[in-house]
Amino acid sequence: MNIVRRVAATAILIAQKDLRLEWRNRARLFSVALFGLVVLLLLSLAFGPNSDDLQRAAPGSLVVALLFSSILSLSESFRLEREDSALEGLALVPIEPMGLFYGKFLANTLFLLLLAGILIPVTVVLFVVEADARVLLQLTGFWALAAVGLAAPGTLYAAMTSRLRSQDVLLPLLLFPLEVPALIALVKSFGFILTGDPMEQLVSWTKLLIAFDLIYVALCGVLFPFILDEGS
Amino acid sequence: MASYDQRHGSCEMHSTDSITASGEPACTQPANAVTARGVGRRFGRTWALAHIDIEIKQGESVLLVGHNGSGKTTLLRLLCGLLRPSTGDLRLFGSAPQQQPFEVRPRLTLVSHRTYLYEQLTALEHVRLWMGLAMDSTYHSTPAEAQERRAKELLETVGLEQRAADPAVQFSAGMRKRLSLLRTQIEDPDLILLDEPFSALDPAGQDMVTDWLAQLRARGKTLIVASHALEQASKLCAKAIVLHTGQIVWRGAAADVTAGLLTHATKSNS
Repeated sequence: MNIVRRVAATAILIAQKDLRLEWRNRARLFSVALFGLVVLLLLSLAFGPNSDDLQRAAPGSLVVALLFSSILSLSESFRLEREDSALEGLALVPIEPMGLFYGKFLANTLFLLLLAGILIPVTVVLFVVEADARVLLQLTGFWALAAVGLAAPGTLYAAMTSRLRSQDVLLPLLLFPLEVPALIALVKSFGFILTGDPMEQLVSWTKLLIAFDLIYVALCGVLFPFILDEGS
Repeated sequence: MASYDQRHGSCEMHSTDSITASGEPACTQPANAVTARGVGRRFGRTWALAHIDIEIKQGESVLLVGHNGSGKTTLLRLLCGLLRPSTGDLRLFGSAPQQQPFEVRPRLTLVSHRTYLYEQLTALEHVRLWMGLAMDSTYHSTPAEAQERRAKELLETVGLEQRAADPAVQFSAGMRKRLSLLRTQIEDPDLILLDEPFSALDPAGQDMVTDWLAQLRARGKTLIVASHALEQASKLCAKAIVLHTGQIVWRGAAADVTAGLLTHATKSNS
């Protein structure tokens, strides 16, 4: 089996395992979704009741909800591997470490995508946004691009900080600066989708998000084996 | 004549050496599975292991004995590449475990006192995960039913076939241990490192592990067993090494390990 097939096979096995475990213990999904909902509710109360103000605040609020929920979700993703030192068990198996990364990344991305199904409709309702099926689809598409951009470095940093007691503090500190360009692109894109795009700038922001995603996904996959090596 | 270079675990070729059918020089002695020269490991200012020199040939079984904190687990973790030596040179089958993990890792496994199980995965799911990760070239092209059948057969070998659908969180410590031993069976490595393999097991479970280790030894696998259960472990191992505060203080036949421990204790007290 060549290296690409080995990485892909490992990634699929790890992602299946993670998603199965998440499904069995749905605490992470409930807590993260609830957190996102509370963020959206508080922001809608802060910006309301004027509907123009609410609509203007909707893109930023949705990004804030995604960002905070993703931090909570990502920091939990390696807790599974700390049970009975399971990560050490995986390190002993002759697998491609990149496969382990891409498996965890895939599971985290799918998890964040699942959140879109909850948080986007709630935003539409709370922020009085006029959204037809096309708008909802566009929002979900950009959420997916953002989820990839958040999950790649998030998985890397979650692995790096998973053995530290101060993970909850360190993870956002490390992740936020790295995510700034992707978050700006996402806020702008959501804004253009919800309030109109007369200058047709959405395409350039899309390209920027895709470029960030490609860089993050490739770079984090290459760096992950060094994180996994705790033998120093 | 082919001479055996113990230092490097290889055969030196001389002009009069015989050649095998495959063109390889004939070598009567097995190569080294483990070669450690001056290996040490430090945690902060404390040396957990210091100046360890070991040579273990392929097919040998060695018992590691010592009190808690003597360095047994650290040595096993160094050998399997989970830790990097602070000093010295460590080779497994001629390769450095940290620098050449893909040469070394398929050839060894560690059976730790940790079981590496996921609480919410069932026994069957664990076995299927390990089978997939072991990267057997035939596994991914095998139909799902055949994979499941094979996984159930494996569970039968450790007496867990009735609990295949139960999550690990419902298992007793002994059952978890038995399940974790299956990982070794699936990976089928040449070198098996065992850290307290008899702990948390009832007498039947201990017998099962003893039989399993005896089978592995009969198949020519190299075993390194760290254990306090001297009676059982010394029956399985030919050689023994006694560690004390990170240093080797006695080497000899496993059958004499109790005498070795007494000798060391007498020397320490005098």
